[in-house]
Amino acid sequence: MSLTQAPVLEAGQLRLRGPEMRDFEPLAEFFADPDRAWGFGGAETRPDAWRWFASNIGHWHIHGYGYFTIEMTEGARPAGLCGIWNPEGWPEPELGWLVFAPFEGRGIAYAAALRARQWAYDALGFTTLTSNILPGNARSVALAERLGARYERTYQNVTLGEDMLFRHPGPAELDADGGMEAYA
Amino acid sequence: MTDIPVIETRRLILSAPEPADYPKFKATFTSYRARFMGGPLNDYEAWMLYAAEIGHWQIRGFGMWMIHDRETGATCGMAGGWQPAKWPEREIAWVIWPEVAGRGIALEATHAARAHFYDTMGWTGAVSYLDPRNYDSIRLAERLGCKRDPEAASVDGHDVVYRHPAPEKLKNSQIADAIELELQSHAGPIFGRREEAPA
Repeated sequence: MSLTQAPVLEAGQLRLRGPEMRDFEPLAEFFADPDRAWGFGGAETRPDAWRWFASNIGHWHIHGYGYFTIEMTEGARPAGLCGIWNPEGWPEPELGWLVFAPFEGRGIAYAAALRARQWAYDALGFTTLTSNILPGNARSVALAERLGARYERTYQNVTLGEDMLFRHPGPAELDADGGMEAYA
Repeated sequence: MTDIPVIETRRLILSAPEPADYPKFKATFTSYRARFMGGPLNDYEAWMLYAAEIGHWQIRGFGMWMIHDRETGATCGMAGGWQPAKWPEREIAWVIWPEVAGRGIALEATHAARAHFYDTMGWTGAVSYLDPRNYDSIRLAERLGCKRDPEAASVDGHDVVYRHPAPEKLKNSQIADAIELELQSHAGPIFGRREEAPA
């Protein structure tokens, strides 16, 4: 059952859809793994993961956007999360992503982030987007740069502490596919 | 998505927590008032909790209503059901903004929420997890007919468990009569409104 009013966005081999209860187990596993969860603020207990899952649903109801679940079109398996995040205390709406362990290394986060960014610009009317990345998270920095985002400043995040802010190209700078062909 | 029902009582309307209702929730949860509810929280934590209140409804099919004053529409607090991960049982919970405390609003709202869970949703019981130093809430639990249940599992060992009377025990009971009398005293013409009572 859908828990939010999130749309379904197709993106080739994957689709973005609103959170559903069956996404909770893989998300709790992700949060329980300190190696994987540290870039997202560190390992969380199962109750804390549940609380975060509930907050994401509320985030959709309050803002009309939030984290989508990334789902492989084939088999409909949850592969990660990607979306726009803007709780109180955040510097600006953020394009964020995380990929569950079995789906690493397939370019899933890139495809999902590209699609979510395009949706934020086209459907929500955003004129700019940022991504917040903890110092040392080289993989996310590489992905942000591949998406055309550029480092802007380091700031103190309300819950994560020292954090780097990357700024994405605005809608006018992107080609029709939402990509950065001109920069490639 | 779960449609959140609206409950009306003599003085109150209980409805879905909306984004516009957030400021007073934040004011309470970022203050000393929240010391028995895991607070005081910072701005981010308060917002995430409020978002979780909304998400809870969608996940569980029940949750905490926002309490509004029927006449002014102003928010007074929240009451309803709460069972995030780790909660051993379904909890009936309440929180009242400090500026409207002492008017029986928590009693009226919680009594109505419990009746909804019992009569409409088929609950056969519930508990309230209270901080043992939270005398206001313990007093309210007792006015609602709850009894401390030392055998029941607590959330984290720092809370005490109060068990609500089962639906059949509550119906036509002295507890129900006492609640009715107390609510009349806050609203009814016989006793007069509290603010009109002689000093």
